[in-house]
Order: sequence, then C-alpha cells, then structure tokens
Amino acid sequence: MKKKSSLLSRIVLVLTLLFFYLPILYIIVFSFNDSRSLTKFSGFSLRWYEKMFADPTMMEAVMYTVIVAVLATAISTIVGTITAIGLSKSRRAVQLLVERVNDLPVMNPDIVTAISLLMFFSVLAVRKGLGTMLLAHIMFCIPYVMLSITPKLRSLDPNLIDAALDLGATPFQALTRVIVPQIRPGIISGALIAFTMSFDDFVISYFTTGNGVNNISILVYTMSKRVNPSINALSTIVILLITLTLGIVNIVPVLREKWSAKNQPVK
Amino acid sequence: MKKALVLLLLALSLCLVGCGAKPSGAQSEAEAIEKYGSAVLKVYMPGEYLGENVIQNFEKQFGVKVIMENFDSNEMMYTKLQAGDSYDVLIPSDYMIERLIKGDYLQPLDHSLLPNLGNLADAVRNMDYDPDNTWSVPYFWGSVGLVYNTENVDPKVMEAEGWEILRDTDYAGQIYIYDSERDSFMMAFKALGYSMNTDNSDEIQAAYEWLREMNQTMDPIYVTDEVIDSMIGGYKDIAVVYSGDATVILDENEDMGFFMPNEGTNIWCDAMVIPANAENPLLAHEFINYFLTYEAAFDNSETVGYASPHAQVLEEMSTQEDLYAENEAYLPRSNYKNDEMFHDNVVLQKELSQLWIKVKAEK
Amino acid sequence: MKQFRSMTYPYVLWISVMIIVPMLLIVLYAFTVSGNDVLTFQFTLENFHRFITDSVFRAVLWRSLLIAVITTLICVLLGYPIAYIIAQMGEHANTVMILLITMPTWVNMLVRTYAWMGILQDEGVLNSLLGVFGIGPVQMIHTSFAVILGMVYNFIPFMILQIHTSLAKMDKSLLNAANDLGANPVQAFLRVTLPLSVPGIISGITLVFLPAVSSFFIPKLLGGGQYVLVGNIIETQFLTTGDWNFGSAISMIMALIIMLSMYLTRKVDVSAASNGKE
Repeated sequence: MKKKSSLLSRIVLVLTLLFFYLPILYIIVFSFNDSRSLTKFSGFSLRWYEKMFADPTMMEAVMYTVIVAVLATAISTIVGTITAIGLSKSRRAVQLLVERVNDLPVMNPDIVTAISLLMFFSVLAVRKGLGTMLLAHIMFCIPYVMLSITPKLRSLDPNLIDAALDLGATPFQALTRVIVPQIRPGIISGALIAFTMSFDDFVISYFTTGNGVNNISILVYTMSKRVNPSINALSTIVILLITLTLGIVNIVPVLREKWSAKNQPVK
Repeated sequence: MKKALVLLLLALSLCLVGCGAKPSGAQSEAEAIEKYGSAVLKVYMPGEYLGENVIQNFEKQFGVKVIMENFDSNEMMYTKLQAGDSYDVLIPSDYMIERLIKGDYLQPLDHSLLPNLGNLADAVRNMDYDPDNTWSVPYFWGSVGLVYNTENVDPKVMEAEGWEILRDTDYAGQIYIYDSERDSFMMAFKALGYSMNTDNSDEIQAAYEWLREMNQTMDPIYVTDEVIDSMIGGYKDIAVVYSGDATVILDENEDMGFFMPNEGTNIWCDAMVIPANAENPLLAHEFINYFLTYEAAFDNSETVGYASPHAQVLEEMSTQEDLYAENEAYLPRSNYKNDEMFHDNVVLQKELSQLWIKVKAEK
Repeated sequence: MKQFRSMTYPYVLWISVMIIVPMLLIVLYAFTVSGNDVLTFQFTLENFHRFITDSVFRAVLWRSLLIAVITTLICVLLGYPIAYIIAQMGEHANTVMILLITMPTWVNMLVRTYAWMGILQDEGVLNSLLGVFGIGPVQMIHTSFAVILGMVYNFIPFMILQIHTSLAKMDKSLLNAANDLGANPVQAFLRVTLPLSVPGIISGITLVFLPAVSSFFIPKLLGGGQYVLVGNIIETQFLTTGDWNFGSAISMIMALIIMLSMYLTRKVDVSAASNGKE
C-alpha cells in the first residue's frame, strides 16, 4: 500500500514546492537585475547587494526585525502554551471568553489593531520604540500560538494527567513530562506561525514604534515611490541563511542521535 | 560565484571604511552638541525620496546623527503626529501643511538661520498655502499628468482630448488610474471645467458621474506606486502619473511620452517644516538650510527625478542634455491659468473618499 | 486539576489591558462623530447606518466574505492532502518539509506579491510558458483568479501547519485497530483519521478565513484596485480619508459577522470532537 501511494505523494509534494518557490525564485532572479524594475529583467548586476550592505538603515532594520521576532516568538510561545493548558482545564465560559477575545487581533484588519494600540500607548504616554513594538508583537502572536495548541490539547486523553498524578508526579512534572511532549507538534507550529507573523508585520509595527526603530517591513512599505530591489537582495540573503540553518538543523539531530546511541546503549 | 563573493566582501568593507572615515574641516560631534544642544535630528519624510549621499554628507559635515523615519501617505504622518510623536523636521505636502498650520502643529521658521533661502526658484515662491515661507521651505514640486505610449497613442489625439481620453473607448482596457480620491476627482473636475477645490454639490455629482462612466466603459486598473514598474514594462498605453515618477518612466522606456492636459492639472509641492514640539529646532534649521545648497538639491533631484526647488539646479536639470533636458516630464508647468493646488478641506475629502470607493466597487 | 486553572489568570489580565482596553477605544470611535481635532464626542449610530443602508458597501462586504470563503475552501482541499502526505513521512523529512513550507512566508509579503505580479503579467513568466504550448496569452493579472491565487499562496502554509499538527503524533494504534476490525483504508481514514483531525482543520480555517476577510494588499496589487474588499475600505478610512469613526464602525460590523460565523464553525468542532471520542 505504501509503495503504490508514494509516487503520487511525490508528485503532489513536488508541485507544492514548485508553487511555493516560484515567486521566491523570481525574487532571487530579480535581486540581480540591473535596473530598478521588479518585473522587467534587463541584465545581471550586483548593485543591489552593494547598496544593501552600504545602507546602515537596512542593516539596522534587519537587526530589529530579528530581535523582535525572536523575543516575541519565545515569549508568546511560552505564555501561549501555559495559558492554553490552563484554559483546557478551566470552565467552559472562561474558555469561550478568552477564545473570542483572542480572535480579535487575528480578525481585525491590522490597521484597526494598530490604531487601537497607537491610541493606547499615547494615552499612557510611553516612549515609543523597541519596547512598545515588542509588546504589540507579543500581543498579536499569543493568539496564534494558542490556536495551534488548543486542538492538540483537545485530542489529549484527559486521563493521562490523572494517571501521572496518581503515579506520584507533581503537577509540574505532569505538565512538563506528560502534557508538553504530547502537544509538541502544536507548540512548534504555533511558534513558527508567531515568528512568521512578527517577521512580516508592517502596520502594527509602524504605529507602535518610534524614535527611528524600523523593521524590514516598515522599510519596504514606506518606500512609497518605488520598492527598491535591495529588498530582493535582502530577501535572497534571508532565504540563503535560513536554508543554511535548515541544513544544520537537519544534520544536528542525526549527529546527536549517533552520539547518544554510542553513549547510552540502554534506552 | 567567486567573483560575486569577492564583490560582496568588497562592498561590505567599503561600507565599513566609509563609515569610519571623517573628512577634515567638518564639525565634530562635541562642537555640534555645543552649537545645537544635541547632535541628534529626527526626520520624518516619504520613503525613497532622497539623493544617494545627502544624509551621509550632512551627518559628516555637521557631526550629527540623523534618525530617519518614513511615511507612505500624508495621512499616516498626520496620525502619528496626532498621537503626540515628536520629530524635528517633517516633509508633508501642500494641503497637509495647511492643515498642520491650522492645527498649530508647526513653529514659524527663523529666516536668519536660513541664509540659503535665496536659492529658491521663482516658481516655488509664494505658494498659496504659505506665501512668505513663514512655515515651510519647498523640497520637491511637480504636477500630475498622463504618461502614454507614443507608439500606440497619437500625441495629437492626446492633445485634443486631454483628460477625456480616459473615457475614449478606443483605449478601453488600456488605462491605469491613480487610486486616490484626490487625484481622480481632480481630473474629473478639470475635464468638466470646474475648480478641483469645488464644494458645489452639483459639480461633485457631475464629477462622480464622469468617473462612474469611465469605470463602466473603460475597464481601468486602479494602481498606486506599482504604476511606475508597469509603465516601464509597457503593459498598458495610458496612465495617470505624478510628474517625478513620469520622469523615471520616460527615462527607462523611450516609447513613453508625458502630457499635461490643457484643461489644467494639480500642481503640488512637498515642503520641509519644523513641528512645534521639535526637540532640536536649531539643527532642524541647519538641515533645511543644507537642503537649499546646490550640492544637496542636485543629488536629490538627479536621484529621485522630481523637480528641484533650487533655481540653479532646476535650470541645469531642465536644460542640460545629459540630465533631464529631453525628458518632458521633469519640468512642471508654472503659472498656467487652469492649474491649481489642493487646499485642505477635511469634510470635502471624506465625501470624495466615500464616492471614490463607490466608483471602484461598482462592478 | 484545578491547580492548572490559575495558569490562565496572568493572560486574562494581559488581554484585558492589551486587547480589550485598546479595542474599547475603537468601539468609542464607532459610536461617535468627532469634530476636526477637538475631542468632542457625540453618541451616534450614523456610522453604522451609513454602511448598512448603502447597497454598494453591502455588496463589498458580501464579496469579501465570498472571496474569503473560497480561499478557505481551496486551502482546506489542497492543504489537507499535502499535510497528510507530510505527516506520513519519516520524522526528519517531516521537519524539513514543514520548514520548507514555512520559509517562503519569511520573505516580505509585499515583495512576494510583487513577484506574483511579474509572474502573472500578460507578458510574464507564466504566459511565456503557456505560449510554448501554444496557449494564451491568458489574462491573469487583475482578475479574481489572481486575487484568490495570491490569498491561497499567502495563507495556505498556516492551514497545512495546523492540519499537519493534528495528524502528527496521532495514535497509530487506533488505525491498526481499525484495520484489525476489517476496515479498508478509506473507511479507516473516514472513521478514524478525519474526525481526529477536525480540530486542526477548524484552527486552520480560523487562521485563513479571519485574515482573508480583511486582507488589503493582495486584492489591491493583484486585483488592480477593482476588487474593492472590506479590508480596503477600512484601511482607506484610517490611512487616507482620516475618517476613523466610519472605519471603526465598519470593522465592528465585520467583526460581529465573523464572530457569528466562527461561533457556528466551532459548534461543528465540538460535535465532531465528541463524535471522535465515542
């Protein structure tokens, strides 16, 4: 049965990847474009790479984007996981309430969330910058994390925890040793989505930041006259870096497995 | 591949060297702090609207650091100002400057700190919104016109029909309209022979019908800044475009021509202002004064393609062949009787905006 | 298990401060008209009235919901098999595939959409390719096809992730049991796998449908501005017109409609989940 389906599966996967990477390929090609056009290729050049490396605001924006995305993802994944677990044991009314409120940032157009936060921060008269932007990102990332974890929690056998507790586990142990491993795929996909949302956000970041703190999206969207192909160059480098990381991530577990197989023969 | 890597490294090291070097004769940071009180200047302006080296040169010469933030529309800027964000220099458009003056958001300029004010071209002096440059100093100016493919559209037809060509079904499916209520109602008003600042409800209704008919018969595509790329690619024959963007299009696609209809068009001006809550007004004046130098104005205008407010730069750009002499989009029309500038009218703008959405959504 | 409940309290406090309070400001705007800059609030239903009574606006709202529903449906129909195939793979291949699918979303959305504009153009890559086979040029850019393609491209990774999550680490013994009881693979899928993955599908729908209704840049760039969706109207009110009151009212109307439809969708979830447990 496995053999029969695998050819079809492969075709589907190849088509999927083709669909996902066609625009990415396009972006990479146009990062080497000689002219400013993003749709018409006129010759090979590295000028956009030179321009990108020579532009301090762009390098700064990369730094801020990464800092915010990493911190927001880490914090919202932890908080989201804890809350989702707590929520699954809470009364139905509380669950419903939190779910509905969580829907708001997912559902509202970014501009509505952005304006509401802009007014909120200006009422509080806080100095806008990295801190306010990070708070905003955490705010809209947590609902995505919870949305990913909740279904996994729901399919969890409720007796599992009781069993663990009966066997003498403390609630904390039950949490970290029993629940978390079971919902791990949900946590990972939640973290991935949170990272994506934070990395790609423009409107909310724009209205919650200040004092020269920009992320990549802000640079891109406010290139009001023309999007500068340096952004393509930047995207190409981001893709390259992620691919490299991906390679390492892929190799490390294999190595680690070999290592642990040598050192711990008993499983 | 190896060559690419070497070039990349070269670019990187160049940047590092460039950042470290300090030209002689420039002001140091300590001197700057003594002179202005602080060596930091916060500027808030449209993105991709600067010469390549202007800011770096300014920073080096005066020993200061410029913190740059960009906006994509005047209203975005206004929203942030309303929330109390503080900047030292803003570069909004004419009608927005009017609104900022009315709302007490600006501080008057000290002309004794702006010795280069005399460099301004005559065409940008005495602008309606600020006749004596009490509040603002022009940064770029221009018009709105039609970019068209001279291979497919006869310049004579263009000349004869003006804005009405946007309703000429010979060109159905071939037009890009700029997606903003302000600019689309402007062309409808002008085509009908009204003022573009009219608030007469019959005239507004007539313009609305004009646009509706265009929408129904011409199958137009509504675009904003992506029009530049699309017209360079030559995907359609006619587009409504800002003059500076048209300069870029004409520069890169020689089939394209530019035309300002005889019925009149919008002449606009973006200008530098200092907000009332600026933290470093002294340095802000220095910045504005610097942009009135030949060197800065030249770099700006050459890179961005918009008309310079600097008399000598404007003259050179529009007469020298290696610059923009042969580019009919560079130099805006001045003192043409049918041309106008926008005035700030929030109520009217809201009304036009709702009507504009209805025009586009009716399909 | 009451000890776990307290883990929710910090977040309840957080959302009260960071979501509910700011949203109340939007509600305040929706029910008021403001004089120019002065904060003179005056209660009114005018903003709602203006939207609801206008047939053009109603049509826009309807079209937005329709496009979002189509997008969501396509995402489910395409996303499920992809997620299923990935979930069947070995653990490493699994991780790699999921990362490969997420990676494109880390490239700026505007840049990706510009790439699609170039690809779908009349003289673009896709039409050149079709030309080789003697087809076209087909008009793709500025059609509803382009808008939906752009939306699916942008949102389907979330659908795949959610479905994959619910399929990954599924209790394989259930499937074995079904097999032992004589169920064929199709029956086993319909009776065991599918019901168990319903919560994932619902999460995926939430993540695709909600942002799709209010999406803004994709219809603008790929639809050529003729595809005015409700997201565009709201965005315009805040960013160009400056009519925050009207913008807030529209987004409240939209929020109410979506909340209602999500409430109904999740009812399906609850009943499906209880079915699965029987």
